[in-house]
Formats: sequence, C-alpha cells, structure tokens
Amino acid sequence: MDFTFSPEHTALRRMVREFAENEVAPLAMQMDRQHRVPLEMIRRLGQTGLLGVCFPQEYGGMGAGETGYCILMEELGRVCTSTATIVGAHIGIGAMAIHLDGNDEQKRKYLTPLARGEKIAAFGLTESGAGSDAANIRTRAVREGDSWILDGGKVFITNGGHADIITVMAVTDPSLGARGGITAFIVETAWEGFSVAREEDKMGIRGSSTAELVFEELRVPHENVLGKVGEGFITFMKALDMGRLTLGAASLGGAQASLEWAVRWARTRRQFGVELAHKQSVQWMIANMATEIEALRSLVYRVAWMVDTGQPFGQLAAMCKMYGSEVASRAIDMALQIHGGLGLTRDFPIERGFRDARIAEIYEGTNEVQRIVIATNIFREHGVRIRP
Amino acid sequence: MRIIVVIGRVLDPAGIVVNRRAGRIFVNREEYILQPADRCALEAALRVKDAAGAEVIALPRSLLPDDDVLRQALARGADRAIHLVGQVGNLPYEDAAMTRVLAAAVQRLGGADLILTGATTLDTGQSQLGPRLAEALGWPQILGAWQVTIQRVSESAKWMMQAVVMAQRATLKDVILSDRRERRISWLHERETLRCAQGDIFGAVRRDGAGYVTVEADLPAVVTVAPGALKLRYPDGVRLINVYRAGDAVERWEVSDLVDEAALRPQLEKRGQEFPPERERGVRLSGTPEEMAQALAETLRQRMRR
Repeated sequence: MDFTFSPEHTALRRMVREFAENEVAPLAMQMDRQHRVPLEMIRRLGQTGLLGVCFPQEYGGMGAGETGYCILMEELGRVCTSTATIVGAHIGIGAMAIHLDGNDEQKRKYLTPLARGEKIAAFGLTESGAGSDAANIRTRAVREGDSWILDGGKVFITNGGHADIITVMAVTDPSLGARGGITAFIVETAWEGFSVAREEDKMGIRGSSTAELVFEELRVPHENVLGKVGEGFITFMKALDMGRLTLGAASLGGAQASLEWAVRWARTRRQFGVELAHKQSVQWMIANMATEIEALRSLVYRVAWMVDTGQPFGQLAAMCKMYGSEVASRAIDMALQIHGGLGLTRDFPIERGFRDARIAEIYEGTNEVQRIVIATNIFREHGVRIRP
Repeated sequence: MRIIVVIGRVLDPAGIVVNRRAGRIFVNREEYILQPADRCALEAALRVKDAAGAEVIALPRSLLPDDDVLRQALARGADRAIHLVGQVGNLPYEDAAMTRVLAAAVQRLGGADLILTGATTLDTGQSQLGPRLAEALGWPQILGAWQVTIQRVSESAKWMMQAVVMAQRATLKDVILSDRRERRISWLHERETLRCAQGDIFGAVRRDGAGYVTVEADLPAVVTVAPGALKLRYPDGVRLINVYRAGDAVERWEVSDLVDEAALRPQLEKRGQEFPPERERGVRLSGTPEEMAQALAETLRQRMRR
C-alpha cells in the first residue's frame, strides 16, 4: 500500500496551485459580486492543457488520469467554487460523456477542442419535471432521414449560457423508458433551433452560468448520436459517476480553504487576552474539521486510484460526493463560527464560501439520491432489490 | 543559437517558520521551489527562444540531490536539461567550485551564445555565480537585467544582445561600467545605450532606481536576471506529464568526468548560523513640518555622533 503521489501528479498539483493562486483566486470575489463568468481566465486555463487533464494525449488531453483530474478540482475548489463548478461541468460530465462513449471521429471532432479549452462543454440532463427523477425526461428526439429533430428544453444547466457543445439526453422511444428509450446526442449550440431562455440568479456559485435551454426543431445529424441509440441513460449515469468523484475533490478543496481561513484567524484574533487558538472550543472545531478533511482526502484519492486502475467505483463515487459536500458545509460553518460576526461581512471570503458550499449537497444528484445509490448497492450485495 | 540557463532550488518559504527566540528555522513542509531570480532567468531564456529561435539547455546552479528543478525547466519549454551529479563539500553555495564545473559543462556542450542565471539567490543571497562564470569564460557580463532581447546585427550577421537594466536615471552614478583593460570605470552620464565588451562588467548597483538603461553586448555573454523581472510562464500540461513520467527526460553527467578532484575541493565551511540583527522600529514624527524637520535633523545628528 503506497499513499504517495507520483512525481507527475506532484508536479501537476504544483502547476495547478500556481495557476489557481495567481490567476483564479484574485478573480473569485469579483466573479461572485458581478455575477460574471471569467471566460478569459477559463481560456488561459485551457491553453495550459489543464482542461484536458484526464483525457488521452491523442485527443489533446494531458493523460494525467482521474487522479490528476481530482488534483485539479481540489486546487480549484480551494480558491473558487464557481471556477471549480465551470471546470467540473466542462470536463467531468460534458466532455466526459464524449470521452466515455464517443467514437473516434466524435472524439477527434469534439473532445480535442474541449480538451484544449478552445470550446466549452455542458451536460444537458435536468428538466423542469425531471431533477432527481432523471429518467423522467420529456425532451423528444425524432428520427428524420439522416438526422434527429430535438424538441424540448433543459433547466439548471451549468455553463449553459456560454457552452459551445452540449451533450443532451432525449427520449427516442417513449414506450421503452430509461433503458432503451433514451439517447445521448452531441449538440452544437451554434445550430439553428438552440436558444438560451434565461440565466438563473443564484445564492452561490455566482461566477458560473446556470441556464435554461430551449430546443426548437433542432436538427442533429445521426453521426452525433453518442454511444448507441437507446443507451443514452447508461452513458449519462457513467459520466455522472465520474462527476461525483471529482465533485468530492472540489468539496475537499473548499473544506481545506475553510480550515486554512479558520486557522489563520484563530492565530491572530485576540479575545480575553489570548489568541483564539488557545481556546479549547476553537481547538475542537479545528480538530474536527481537519479530521473530516483528511478522511475525505483519503476517500477521494482512493476512489481516483480505483478509476485509474479500472475497478468498479460507482457506490464510492456517490460517497465522495455526499460526504464531501457535507464535510465542506460543516467546515465552512465552523470557519464562520470562528470568525464570528466579521465572517458574515463581505470583507471576508467566509460568507461567499458559505453561500458557495450549499450547492454541492444538491447538484449532480442530491445527497438524498446519493444515499439511495449507496443503499441500493449495499442491499443488492445482500440479495435485496430496492424498488424506486 | 544556444542559451544555457543556470537554475537552482530553494526551500519554499511558505513551508518554514523562523523562530528568533529559539535561533532556529523550523521546516514544517520540506518542499523546494525554483529560485525566484532563476525563474526570471528561465523566462528570459524562453522569450529569446520564442523570438529568435534557440536551443535552451538548463543546468543546475549547485549540485542538487534531485533533478526536479530541471524537469520544471523542461516542462516550461527548455529543450534539454542536464543533471550534474557529484559532490562539492556539504554546502549548497560553493560557487567557486560550481563555476569550474559549469565552465567545463559549457565546454563539453561545445560552447554557448548566452548564459542566463538569476542575479541572486533567495536563501543565501549569493550573487557570484554569474560574474564568476563570465570571468572563467572571458565573456562580458551584465548583472541584474530586467529584460533581455536578442537581435541580429544585419551587416555581420552576428547576434547581439540587449539587456535592460534598472538604474537611477537622475544620478547615473549608480550604474557602473568597468573596463578593466584600461583600468577605468565609466560613470555614465550621457548615453543610455551602452556597450559591454569582452571583459567588461555591467551592473546596476542599486535596484531602487527610477529608470532603466539599455546595455548591449556581443555574444557570447553572461546575463544575470533580477528577481521579479519577468513572470515565468506556466508549464505546458502535456509536456509536464511526459517530462515527469519519462525516467530519462533529464540527462545525467558525472561531475568527476568534467573536472578533476582538486577543482571540487570545498572552499567554504559552515561554522555556525546567526540571524541578522532585528530591525529597529521606526518612529512616526508629528507636529508642523518645521517641527518634524527639526526632530528628524536632531535624530540624524545623534545617530552620526553614535
């Protein structure tokens, strides 16, 4: 058993941290205040190759595996949750679906520019009537000769307002349901029939775009079917498994930042004649945060290692997402408590961290859905099939 | 064109705590980073490469136990990196011996057109390596450059280098061009573009100046680059992964093949360590300008008496 990172992953972390601290962190506050997506910075991130971190080098990626991707997400999550969200939707689910089930031609055409950050991806699954109940989507695709005609819409699509390429799930055979009736498509947003209906004004992750998308007689060539017709739901679930793991990594970074803020404050802020660090109530909070963070770190990188070595990991990815988001929420809550009233002011990054942390318990499958995934897997091992 | 960039490592200051009372430096996290001035030298080399096309070869400024900084240089765009393996005493700042090793390495490489290195080190404050190397090779040297450019002199098809060095434009006494053949130091009053010929040393003595002067030199030359002069580019992700994955990305040369044992005899020994004296706290003057001037003058007078 060896828990050390390889030299290339250590070097990668140093590179990402340098970029995150110099290029991302200075923008974080202003992105949040101005509700602005930092497209210029995302493009520079792409130029370094980091947006292709886990994709093969033959398709413009770095080939640093899932471990490398988790390092990227942890370091971005440490300085800016909005940026981690943009990158997570781009790599972790949008481009990931093409990486997992695209054919060679699709990968050359779409994955390569996505890996280089020349184009930005989004993942089109959620609909107004199908959130946690993802199999209940209504967007329809009808075959017409060599094309498919898409009609419907998606909501809460991260990167939706500025994505160039969206992997969209649509019903191709209403009689078959999730298994067999749903197909994944690669959609270019420049095509006629695509429009952005509105952008959400959110409590947190305000530096990222969350948009409602509309498809009106959107013509998609048959060659843009991702995977096989009728197997889209499986493609999307596989992509979501990857996304969940790396969302855990982003939460790890956020929790780590909370701990760093709390420690910094506790060693300088004086009350009752001593620094807060000397108060046992504060020490206990710091100790609890640090312990949960280390447990999460072990979980995240163990699952990344499982992905890189080809082992099944779906249930553990759900744990990463669920536990990670809750550790991050608890950590920022304690950091806020340690900062007292000042933590609530906009002079400190704590209030932004607090607002940003909450979404991780909701998106990419609510934590309730993650618990269903985990429990279903556990009962299946004991011969019990859980009914939805 | 061949550029050699000499780079070293330093303990990441973010991972250490200086405890004056205990008289010790506590290392919480033993992580090394590129010397800040060497970062700038590497960027200067890569910019010349981008502009004029050159082969950039990275060499270490001391005999490092690992080749990490050299791999970093490769990841950021250097073409070759050579790890010099051997031992010079126990200290990381044996610049005299390192100069011999590096000069021999330059010879073995078949010479070079330009050698760039950091003007000073963050940990030991060493500024000697560049000047010593220029001495050993008999090349002109320009110290503390903020910008380095290369251009082809059209008629002779020779390369010429321009370095921008910060200087006090008002009192150019701060800028010294020493021409030792004529045993003369020029105090530069008139010209802002200077020529630095073989055997010349050009250096900006003070860094707090308000202006810059441009210095020219024929190649080959040695230029040391000021810390903070240039922002080092990010590595290319694909290159980074491949460079760290490949066992043989960095070449290994045994120092014993380059110089004889006598050349490596350490000249320094460490007898102890001491912190620099603690800085006195300043005093904020108050009152009318006249009163403040009076108080300042009085303080200065007392100091001078002391």
